Amino acid sequence: MIAFVLAAAGVAAHAVALARFTVEYGQLPLNGLAPSLSTVALIVGLGLVATLGLGEGRRVGIVLVPVVILLEVVAVSLGLEPAAEMLDFEGTWFAFHVTLAFAGLGGLAVAFASGLLYLVQLHELNTKRMGRLFQFTPPLATLDRLGRTSLVAGFTTFTLALLLGWLWTISFRQSFDQSNPKVLWAIMCWLIFVAALGVRAGDGVKERRSALASVVGFSLIVVSYLGLRLVSSQGGFFL
Amino acid sequence: MSVVGVSHLTAPVEIRERFAFAPSEAELALGGLRFRSEVQEAVLLSTCNRTEIYVCPGGSQHVQKAAQRVLSEKAGEVVGGTGQYLYRHDGMASVRHLYRVAGGLDSLVLGEAEIQGQVKEAYARAGRSPDTPPLAGPILHRLFQSALAAGGRIRSTTPIGEGAASVASVAVGLARKIFGGLEGRQVMILGAGPTAELVVEALGRDGIRGLVVSNRTYERARELASRLSGHAVRFDEMSFELAKTDILIASTAAPHPLVTRDGFRRAREGSQRGPLLILDLAIPRDVEPEVGSEANVFLYNVGHLHEIMDDNLLKRRSSVPEAEAIVEEYARDFLHWYGARGVVPVIRSLRGRWDDLRRGELERLWQRLSHLSSDDRDLVETFSKQLLNKLLHDPTERLKGGAENGRGVEFIDAVRYLHDLETVEPETSEGWEPGHEEEVKGNEMDVPLADDE
Repeated sequence: MIAFVLAAAGVAAHAVALARFTVEYGQLPLNGLAPSLSTVALIVGLGLVATLGLGEGRRVGIVLVPVVILLEVVAVSLGLEPAAEMLDFEGTWFAFHVTLAFAGLGGLAVAFASGLLYLVQLHELNTKRMGRLFQFTPPLATLDRLGRTSLVAGFTTFTLALLLGWLWTISFRQSFDQSNPKVLWAIMCWLIFVAALGVRAGDGVKERRSALASVVGFSLIVVSYLGLRLVSSQGGFFL
Repeated sequence: MSVVGVSHLTAPVEIRERFAFAPSEAELALGGLRFRSEVQEAVLLSTCNRTEIYVCPGGSQHVQKAAQRVLSEKAGEVVGGTGQYLYRHDGMASVRHLYRVAGGLDSLVLGEAEIQGQVKEAYARAGRSPDTPPLAGPILHRLFQSALAAGGRIRSTTPIGEGAASVASVAVGLARKIFGGLEGRQVMILGAGPTAELVVEALGRDGIRGLVVSNRTYERARELASRLSGHAVRFDEMSFELAKTDILIASTAAPHPLVTRDGFRRAREGSQRGPLLILDLAIPRDVEPEVGSEANVFLYNVGHLHEIMDDNLLKRRSSVPEAEAIVEEYARDFLHWYGARGVVPVIRSLRGRWDDLRRGELERLWQRLSHLSSDDRDLVETFSKQLLNKLLHDPTERLKGGAENGRGVEFIDAVRYLHDLETVEPETSEGWEPGHEEEVKGNEMDVPLADDE
């Protein structure tokens, strides 16, 4: 109960801060890396509150709280201001599209954290140790369930975000630029979701495969994003 | 106060079990002890590893012998006598002993948590006994409350209780870290060894989907299965059951492995292949080590479990000095309280004794100075009171100061001896009720030195 109240209070404070951002800059915190990360942190925080409300307890918090804190620390250290470049599109459809995409990426971030802890706990169990790391890390079954749920939820919202973006583009622009780095990066993210879920099929230790796929997949997304930003800093604008 | 008892440090289990008291027996025995001796307060702590009687007032041979007699009567005839297994602690040693017991420092498994609850229960039982006054009076009330607080602090501020320290608790820890909860899990016991039974009891039956026992002798499997509310299967059906099992506990006396890698693969072929925890408690091992490298199998043999336990015990042992320091701190606090508590009646008695002398001497003086007027007599009487007050002022202040800095007991003994106050009755638990425990306050020791002062 205390954890739920504290998490809810933290998320409420975060939401108020982002609302103030919206009022101050006249736009939603969806443009630029720092505001985007802060929004993802808010979405993951909402997931934490919902999970605690459903009674999953502090085991899940051990994974989600560090994810939220890390995202917010990076966002704040980058400077919470909107990007100087204006977005191509704006409006309700766009806000909906971006929020869904962020929810999807938030889900993958949670799957990454659970996957990482799953691999750590698996290592502890296989090396027959019961040290502090073993005590601290949640059970394998909990981590697997959290990772799977996050992946399914993330995949669903991210797919919806892509469909919405595609529909909006072809409806209002009558053309779809398939070579746009944003489009290519989004498709890569979606394929990573598919792969992380796909490895659960078949025989063998599907939990371990899924954890590994989530860790590798999310790392690939982060590395490719940073790479594209680096390239675009010399040329055009990328997210 | 004193404690007389027997524990795992002084007696083997077959002796200890003879000293064990059921709760109802404890009340009767302590009631009898109080009736037969000058014991005013008593608490009996009886667990599987110790039976101890705490009595107050302690110190005298008679009290210790009376408590010892209660234990010896319970144990009955023991070869060589019960005395060889009993220990006795007096005064501060008994206080420290209880604090160490409550903190798990004197336990068979260092730092085990159950003893805290057992101490609490023993004290609560003595406190709510139908005897009047209750068996646990003001001194043992304070002692046990303080011991529970010390035990709680030891556990919360030192790592003495961290990490599993028995095969059963290690097994439970592993199962919980793999499966989260045990709801819906299928457990299979291979062999009917007592350790496997202990592990199943530690796992608890709540939520477990099913418990299967398989043994070469089917009758023994049935016997164990009925004890654990499971069901028995014949040995040749073991492979079939293995396919559905989540936790396998093997503890047969077979001279060769019963679960080979090939057999295991055949048994698990086509099954869902969820995680499988195997606890191989047998020597020689029942499960081939190669089974441990199969996908999603977590195999732990006796060696692994003992390594984990040894690691944990090492960590627990490293916290002993810190825990002992807490024991010492609480023991010192108790000594202060106890000393301060004893000072009040001694000061009263000291004052009374010298005041009686003063009155006696004045009576003799009035006979020789019968010509004195009433005003002159009042003057002399006032002078005698003031002189007495001045004479007793410093010793009284020193006595109170001694009580505050932990030397109360020592000073009380000296004053009682020097002023021949050996007959001063200690405060009794008559009329005392739990919850009305007095605190050591500043004005508690402000005993007036003269009635009219």
